[in-house]
Amino acid sequence: MTTHASMDDPRVTLDEQLGSFEPIPPYPPRTEREHEFYTVADGEMLVNIGPHHPSTHGVLRVVMKLDGERVVDIDPVLGYLHRGVEKLCENADFHHTISYMDPLEYVSSLFCEWPAVMAYEKLLDIKVPRRAEYIRVLTGELNRISSHLLAMGFHALDLGGITPILYSFIERDEMVEMLASITGQRMLFNYFRIGGVNGDLNHEFMSRLGDWMGRATAQVEANQGLLNENEVFVRRNRGVGTIDSQTALKMCWTGPNLRATGVPFDIRRAHPYSVYPELDFDIPTRSEGDSLARYLLRIDEIKQSLRIIDQCLHQMPDGPVMAQVPRLMRPRPGRAFATVEGPRGQYSIYAVSDGTDQPFRFRIHDPSFLHLQSFTLLMPGQLLADWMTINASLDPIMGGIDK
Amino acid sequence: MDAALKRRLEARFGEGLQGPVRQRHDETEIRIAPAQVPDVLRTLHDDPDFHFQLLADLAGVDTGTAMQVVYHLWSTTTSDWLRVIADGLPREDPRVPSITFLWRGAEWMEREAYDMFGIIFEGNRDLRRIYMPADYTSFPLRKDFYLPDDAARSPGGGVRHMEQPQAPLAPGKTLVRRTRA
Repeated sequence: MTTHASMDDPRVTLDEQLGSFEPIPPYPPRTEREHEFYTVADGEMLVNIGPHHPSTHGVLRVVMKLDGERVVDIDPVLGYLHRGVEKLCENADFHHTISYMDPLEYVSSLFCEWPAVMAYEKLLDIKVPRRAEYIRVLTGELNRISSHLLAMGFHALDLGGITPILYSFIERDEMVEMLASITGQRMLFNYFRIGGVNGDLNHEFMSRLGDWMGRATAQVEANQGLLNENEVFVRRNRGVGTIDSQTALKMCWTGPNLRATGVPFDIRRAHPYSVYPELDFDIPTRSEGDSLARYLLRIDEIKQSLRIIDQCLHQMPDGPVMAQVPRLMRPRPGRAFATVEGPRGQYSIYAVSDGTDQPFRFRIHDPSFLHLQSFTLLMPGQLLADWMTINASLDPIMGGIDK
Repeated sequence: MDAALKRRLEARFGEGLQGPVRQRHDETEIRIAPAQVPDVLRTLHDDPDFHFQLLADLAGVDTGTAMQVVYHLWSTTTSDWLRVIADGLPREDPRVPSITFLWRGAEWMEREAYDMFGIIFEGNRDLRRIYMPADYTSFPLRKDFYLPDDAARSPGGGVRHMEQPQAPLAPGKTLVRRTRA
C-alpha cells in the first residue's frame, strides 16, 4: 500500500489518496434500509454526487442507484455543514442565540431569527410594540421576495440558463442594500431583538423602498417572462417530481412546496402571528404538485408579498420599536413553541427554559430538512438530470438542513 | 388558549394522561408514557374531533434525569399548537415506538433525535446517524456531553482542545491515520 505525507500535518502519513468515493461504505449496513440501498442488483450502479457540486445548493452529498440513466433509488448523506447550532445555543445566553440563527438559512436570515425571538417573548410574556411588529413583517416580506427571486434564478441556473440569475440578483441586490441600510449587514442581518427590532426605519431605507416599489411588479414580470415561456425550461419541469397532497402531508411538507400540491396551508393564516391578521393577502395554491407548479407558486407569492409590503407602509403606526426588556433575562421555567412561515415553509423553535439565562433546550425545526427527505419518493423512475430540477424546485438550503 | 380542546382531551384520554392538561399562550400540552405514543397519536390523527393532520415538529429532550420526545401537532379544529410530551424515558436505554406509520416524514426527525440523544425509535426502518459520521460514538445534545469551551459557566470551561499546541513526536515515530475503517 502506498502512503504519503498529509499536507495538513507533516507528522501524519495517509495510507490512501483522500477525496475518492467508495460506493459501498466500509462498515456493515446499520439498518434494513441501508442494506437495501447498498445491495446493487445486476445492471445497476451507484453514483455519487457532491458534496461539492454546484447544483447541491450548499454541501449536500447524494448517492444514487442508477439503472442506465434512470434513478432506482437515492440516499442523501447529510452532515457536511453540521455545526451543532442547537448545542451552541444551549451554551449561550438568550440574546446571543439570535446571532447563531442567521447563518442557518442564509438567504432568508430574518425568518430564522423570527421564531427564536417569538419563542423567547412567549417565555418572558413580553408584548412587542405594534410598530416593531409591522417592521418585522415589512422586512420579513422583503426577505421573502429576495429569497424567492434567488430560488427562481438558481432553478434556471441548475438547468443551464445563466441569464435569469443575473436578473434575479439585480432585484435581490436592491433589497439587500435596503435591509443593509437599517441592519448594517447585507446577508446575516441580526436585526430582530427580544421585544422588538434593533432600529427604526430610516430615510435611506424608505427612499430606496419607495423607489423600488414603483418598478417592482414590472421587474418581476419581466424576469418571469424569461422563464415562463421558455420551452426548454417548461418541458424540463412539467410533470417532474410530482407528489400528491396526501403524500406531501404525510411527509410533513409545508410552505410553497405543499401549497403547490393544492393544500392552502400557510402559517400566516393557519396559525396567525404578529400582525398578519390585519393584513389582506391571498394564499396562492396550485394543484399539479410538480416542479413547474413549485416554481410558478413562488412567483405568485412574490406578488402577494408586494401587496403586504404596500399595506405595511400604509398602516404602520408610530411608536417605539423595542419593549422595555432587561439586559439579563431569566425566564421562569417553561416551554414555548413559536413558528413562522418562511420562504421554504414552517420554521419553528421549541425553547425550554430552566430559569437560568441560557435556554435549556433549543430545538430548531427546518422545513428544507423534510423536503429533502422526500427525494426517496420523488426520484425513482426519473432521469439522473432531473435530480437538478427537483432539487432546485424544492429550494433546500443546506445551512438550515445541517444546522 | 383553547379551553374546548382541553375539555376534549380530558374527556377522550382521561386518566391515561400523566398530569393535567396545561395551557399557556397558544399552546396546549399533554404528557403521556412512552408506550402510549402510537395509540394517542393515532387517535389524535384519525379522530374527527381532533384531526391533527400535520406533524409540526418532533424533538428529543434530555432533562438531565430522563429523556423526553416532544411532538407538536397542528389541526384545523383548534387554534392551539398541541404539544405531546412522551416523558420519562430512562437515560440508559431510551426507547419509544416510532410514529413513521402515521407520518412517514417523521423518519428523518427520528433519525436526528437518535443521532443527537441516542433515543431508539422502535419501528423506524432507517434509524442510523444523520449528521454525525457513522463511526461516531457519543450523543452530542445529551446534557453530559460538555461543550469544550471557555464560556462562562460551561462545565468544560477552560478547555480549548482545538487550540492546544501539538507535542513534537519522538524521533523516528510517525502517526498513521487510516482513512478506511
